[in-house]
Amino acid sequence: MSEARPASRLHLDPAQLARLASLPIKARVIVEGALSGLHRAAVHGASVEFAEHKEYSPGDELRHVDWKAYAKLDRYYVKQFEQESQLTVYLVLDASASMAFAGGGIAKIEYAGMALAALAYLVIQQQDKVGLIACGDKTLETLVPPRARTTHLHDLMSVLESIIARGATGDESPATALARIAELTRRRRALIVLASDLFDADDQTLQLLAQLRAQRHDVSVLHILDPHERSFPYDGLTQFEALESAGKLLVNPAAIRQDYLARMEAFLLRTRTTLTAAGVDYHLVQTDQPLEQTLLELLVARSRLKPARRAG
Amino acid sequence: MGFLAPLMLVGVAALAVPIAIHLIGRRRARVVKFAALDFLLATKRRTARRFRLRERLLLLVRAIACAAVALALAKPYTSCARKGPAVTRGPQAAVLVIDDSFAAGYLIDGKRWLRSATDEARRILTQLGPEAEVAIVRAAEAADHPSELTRDHLRLRDQLLALEPSARPADTTRALARAAQLLAASSHVRKTVFLISLLAKTGMRPDDPPWGKDGPTLVTSELRPAKLPNLAITGLRAEPDPGAASRGVAFDAEVGNFGDVAGKVELSLAIADRVVARGTLDVGPGERKTKRFLAALPAGARATDAFVALSGDALAIDDRRWVRASLRDRVRVLIVDGDPRTIRHDDEVFYLEAALRPGDREDSGTSVRVITSEELSGVEPRARGTAGAIDLDDFDVVVLANVTALPTERVNVLADWMRAGGGILVSPGDHVDPAAYDRTMLPLLPQSLRDPIDTTWGAPPEERDSRALHLVKWEADHPIFAPFSKAAPELADARFFEISLLGPTTSADRKVLARFTNGAAALVEASIGAGRTLLFTSTLDRDWNDLPIHPGFLPLMQQAVRHLARKHAAFGDTDHIVGSSVVLPTGDLKKLEVRGPDGTGAVFEGDRIAGRSSVRFGKTSRPGVYRVIGTDQTGSTHERDELAFVVNVDARGSDLTPAPAAALPVSGTGSGGTPVDDARRIELWHALAAAVLLLLLAEGLLVQR
Repeated sequence: MSEARPASRLHLDPAQLARLASLPIKARVIVEGALSGLHRAAVHGASVEFAEHKEYSPGDELRHVDWKAYAKLDRYYVKQFEQESQLTVYLVLDASASMAFAGGGIAKIEYAGMALAALAYLVIQQQDKVGLIACGDKTLETLVPPRARTTHLHDLMSVLESIIARGATGDESPATALARIAELTRRRRALIVLASDLFDADDQTLQLLAQLRAQRHDVSVLHILDPHERSFPYDGLTQFEALESAGKLLVNPAAIRQDYLARMEAFLLRTRTTLTAAGVDYHLVQTDQPLEQTLLELLVARSRLKPARRAG
Repeated sequence: MGFLAPLMLVGVAALAVPIAIHLIGRRRARVVKFAALDFLLATKRRTARRFRLRERLLLLVRAIACAAVALALAKPYTSCARKGPAVTRGPQAAVLVIDDSFAAGYLIDGKRWLRSATDEARRILTQLGPEAEVAIVRAAEAADHPSELTRDHLRLRDQLLALEPSARPADTTRALARAAQLLAASSHVRKTVFLISLLAKTGMRPDDPPWGKDGPTLVTSELRPAKLPNLAITGLRAEPDPGAASRGVAFDAEVGNFGDVAGKVELSLAIADRVVARGTLDVGPGERKTKRFLAALPAGARATDAFVALSGDALAIDDRRWVRASLRDRVRVLIVDGDPRTIRHDDEVFYLEAALRPGDREDSGTSVRVITSEELSGVEPRARGTAGAIDLDDFDVVVLANVTALPTERVNVLADWMRAGGGILVSPGDHVDPAAYDRTMLPLLPQSLRDPIDTTWGAPPEERDSRALHLVKWEADHPIFAPFSKAAPELADARFFEISLLGPTTSADRKVLARFTNGAAALVEASIGAGRTLLFTSTLDRDWNDLPIHPGFLPLMQQAVRHLARKHAAFGDTDHIVGSSVVLPTGDLKKLEVRGPDGTGAVFEGDRIAGRSSVRFGKTSRPGVYRVIGTDQTGSTHERDELAFVVNVDARGSDLTPAPAAALPVSGTGSGGTPVDDARRIELWHALAAAVLLLLLAEGLLVQR
């Protein structure tokens, strides 16, 4: 496994990537191109994985004695294996109207869609199950149940593509989708990846994320913001119109920029603090950030978390 | 308002420029669909409001500035056409005649008219300039007038500030005459009288002009509003109430409406500063109506002060009027008994005396002295000091009860006394010879007597009662019969067996107050001079009738003598108007002090009172009750209630009807005294230019925010 990757491949411009033909291709470009070799091991399809050696003690199964080690070291060592069950991944896409915002580059929903598609591709490649829930528009219920088949990836990509093509609408917060996942995964642990701007008015989403984590699910959040939402680069008399409501505000942005940025930073800090404290894997992502970098950060973070959680 | 360069007004169209810029600017505002609008709304709702306000203010300021520039270039001007005196600055002689009558206290919008008048006078004083010689003449009746003109304007201003409404009516003509005198003594060519007055008709005497044709210029500053409605109590009298008890007094308050709108006036009567009665009165425009209050004086008080007040209007001083109310003087009756008897109840006047002094009580209000016909020869008017003589002036009523005809000389004495205000009651009897009465007594009678008739003559005892006459058809409205009801069995049941008939008469002065059932007169009244005479055609004892034993006899006799004693109904002269002098008898006092309602007064002692039978008090400057405190020879000092008097404002001053223009004296310059329009042009472009600068400054500040 090589860690070295060409810089040009590592920094795929999301806007350019968005111009590619279809989502499966985009996902594949992201995963195979940018993240190839990052996996710890090839996919074996086995259910057991060697973990470490342990000095034999009475009661250990003889079939796990490493005879080769005995030949070399003249000591009995027993192989210990890590049990790896098939992973279930739920991808949650916030498709509410606020995700349609595109300051200068691609829309937040498009960025989130590509990131989740890449993840789905990766998961299917590892023969794990992956499902999809989209939220935002109450009238359109989008649930792709988790499956591990390769053909399932095609279905999932089609759904994702249609959501992105339809555009972000509605004002439903991800809380509904998260609550649904909580019901679906009552017995089995799952990895839940939420891609959202978390702009819902109440804190229900954050609470549910913390609740899912408390139920021993692995929860990752891609907090996707547009660069303009971070920098507020507007000038001159501007009429701001809400995406999820009929609110309007005619204002001189320069007069309110400082207050706005302070509020935004407070919001981000509160979100990060809340989710991190709950053990949620939190990633603040701007839509101008290369997608492979986003995926890489997510996977690296997960790989760091895994030993820690295993130890725990 | 006009414009010197009206073409420049076309520039007002520039008003559209900022509006257009504003509207275009609004349209050009970039629209951004923004996801995090909540952050903007939450933090900047107030900012947005402020922003909108600022934008609108900016638009307003810019629009006004554009319009103001165009207006300023058009050079607008206005003309000041204020009604008021035309005042020329410079050396001159001028007199400010200011109405400080009590009407000057009229409240207009909560402010005394006099304050407006003095403000106007100060303005004129300023415009006249320091070189003008000026005097201030007050127009109230009997006001003190200055002796010369002065350039000391500071002192004149102090005088104006200290000016207060007096309690007197206006005498504008006199004030103008004094102003003319002052100006006549001046060497200045320009002589002006500035009249600042309510111009009430009552203050003018058109038939007595203050100056001739070569008089000073008259400039009238008419500050009075078009209408000055005023309600006032113009008169108040207190009289003993004929039908009431001994302490009863009737107060007649006359209310004048000097406005042109009918009003319902609420009146209240206060006796000794305590309101004892209230009432209302509808008074039409220009009308005067009287409201009567009946009240009793406080127990123990023979005299007290009272006032009637009406609900307040704009001129308060004439809304209250005082009066001194005294209890009726005791009616003093001299009874001439024509048939005295040793047996008391057989006496001719036994029942009459008992009726006039029921229970022989002192508080009956009547004092009675009984004499015989013979003693009547010693009766003289003004016989004070003559030993043994009876002074007729000590009596109010003389009753001739069954008296034989008096000699002419006696009759003349009584007739003179009666004409001076005395009252005589004559009743016939067996001693009365009608023929003899015809010869001498007619001056005392309302009508001649004829022979009596006996209605029971020849009748058997059982028919006697049925033949008796009864009293019918009495004048129920007459004061004598006021206590009786229409039927009045206490009178109607009395039987009259014998009555005197009356001779024919054509006198219109006599009046039959009651008749018997046969139509004959029972009670006849006549006024002779200031006095009255009553003729009762039956006896006052039981010889000819049984009236004395009926309940109606006592009130009938009481009312008869009260009616005859009418000269005591009027009260003493205790009502004076402000400014009048009051003569007070000194009696045996060695010191006399008068205290007015405002605490001021005068003390008469030493040479001012020694050897004088009366003193004259002239400081009646305010309306109200003036009390008198006397110190007698023993050094004892106490209030002399009988000398107290009241002072009221002259009701003439309450009439604020404006004087016609013809009532004003002719101005020396022929202006006729009408207000002069002082029109002058005031250019406004300077102000507009300043406004533009201020607007631009404001615009700059708004843009910076």
